[in-house]
Amino acid sequence: MVAQAPAVNRARRLRLALATVSLLAPVLTSVLAPGAAAAQATELGRQTLGRPYWHVFIAYALAWLLIGWWVVSIARRLTRVERRLDSE
Amino acid sequence: MEIAVERGRKRRPVGSGIRWTSVVTTLFGIALIVLLHWMVFFWVNTEATMGIVQRIFYVHVPAMWVAFLAFGIAALSSAVYLWLRDERLDMAAVAACEGGMLFTTVGLITGSLWGKIAWGTYWEWDPRLTLTLLLWFIYLGYFMVRAATENPERGRRLSAVIAIVGALDIPLIHVSVLWFRSLHPQPVVLDTRQPMNLDSDMLLTLMIGLLAFTVLFLGVIGFRYGLERSRRTLDIRLARRTA
Repeated sequence: MVAQAPAVNRARRLRLALATVSLLAPVLTSVLAPGAAAAQATELGRQTLGRPYWHVFIAYALAWLLIGWWVVSIARRLTRVERRLDSE
Repeated sequence: MEIAVERGRKRRPVGSGIRWTSVVTTLFGIALIVLLHWMVFFWVNTEATMGIVQRIFYVHVPAMWVAFLAFGIAALSSAVYLWLRDERLDMAAVAACEGGMLFTTVGLITGSLWGKIAWGTYWEWDPRLTLTLLLWFIYLGYFMVRAATENPERGRRLSAVIAIVGALDIPLIHVSVLWFRSLHPQPVVLDTRQPMNLDSDMLLTLMIGLLAFTVLFLGVIGFRYGLERSRRTLDIRLARRTA
C-alpha cells in the first residue's frame, strides 16, 4: 500500500493538471490568440435561425395561406349560391 | 339545361355523391399534408450543398405538378367540350383552371423565395421562369375572356381554345431547362439522360408531397365543380323567371 503511494499521487497530479489546462484553455486562447477567440465568439453569436430558415417558413406559410384562402372562398361562394337556390 | 339532382323535397344542384367523395378525398389529402410536414421538418435529411432552403423543394415541385395536372385536365375537357358541347366538361375546365392558377401562384412564390437564397435574387428572366409566368398570364386571359364576352356560349368556346393553347406551354416549360441555358436546376426525377441521383428519403418525401397535393387538389376541385353547377342552375332558374 505504502509502495503504491507515489504512483497514486502522480496520477492525481496528472488529473489535476489536465483539469486546470482544460479550464484555463479558453482564457489562454483568448490571451495568446485574441483574434481566433474573437472570431469564434462572433461565430457563436451569429447562430440564429438565419435567412434560409425564414425563407423556408415563409414559403410554407404563404403556400398554405393561399390554398386555405382558396378552399374558404369556394365554401363561401357555394354556401351563398345554395342559399339563393333554396330561396328561389 | 337543368342540372339539378333530386334530394328529398329540395332540388340541389350538387349531388350528394360528388359532395361526399370530395369531403372524403379532401380529408385524406389533409392527413397526407400533415404527414408531409412531419417528414419535411422532422424526418428527411438536409441537403449537403443548399442546406435547409432545399426543403422548399417539397412544396414547390408538388405545387407545379398539380398546376400542370390541372391545366392538362382543363385542356382535355375543353377539347372534348368543343367537340360534344356538353356543359359539364366546360364546368370541369373552369374548376381545373382556377386550381391551376392557384397552384402556379404557389409554385412561383415558393420558387422565388428559394431563388433569393440560391441565386441571390427573387426573380430572373430565365426560360423556365418566364414560360411559367406566361402560363399564369394565359390562364388569367382564360377567365378574362369568359368575364368579358357578352354571349356566354361564345365565351365558353373562346376560353376553351385558350385552355388548349395554354396547355401547349407545359411541355415547353419541362424541356426549357434542357434546351436553353438556364439557371433553374435540371430535372432530378424525370430526367431520362442519367440515373436518378436523389437520396431515397428525399425521394419518398417528394412522392408523399406529390400524392398529398394531388389528393387535396382532386378533393377541392370536386367542391369547385359543384359550385359551378350550382351557379348555372341558379342562372337558368333566374332566366326562366325573367322570361
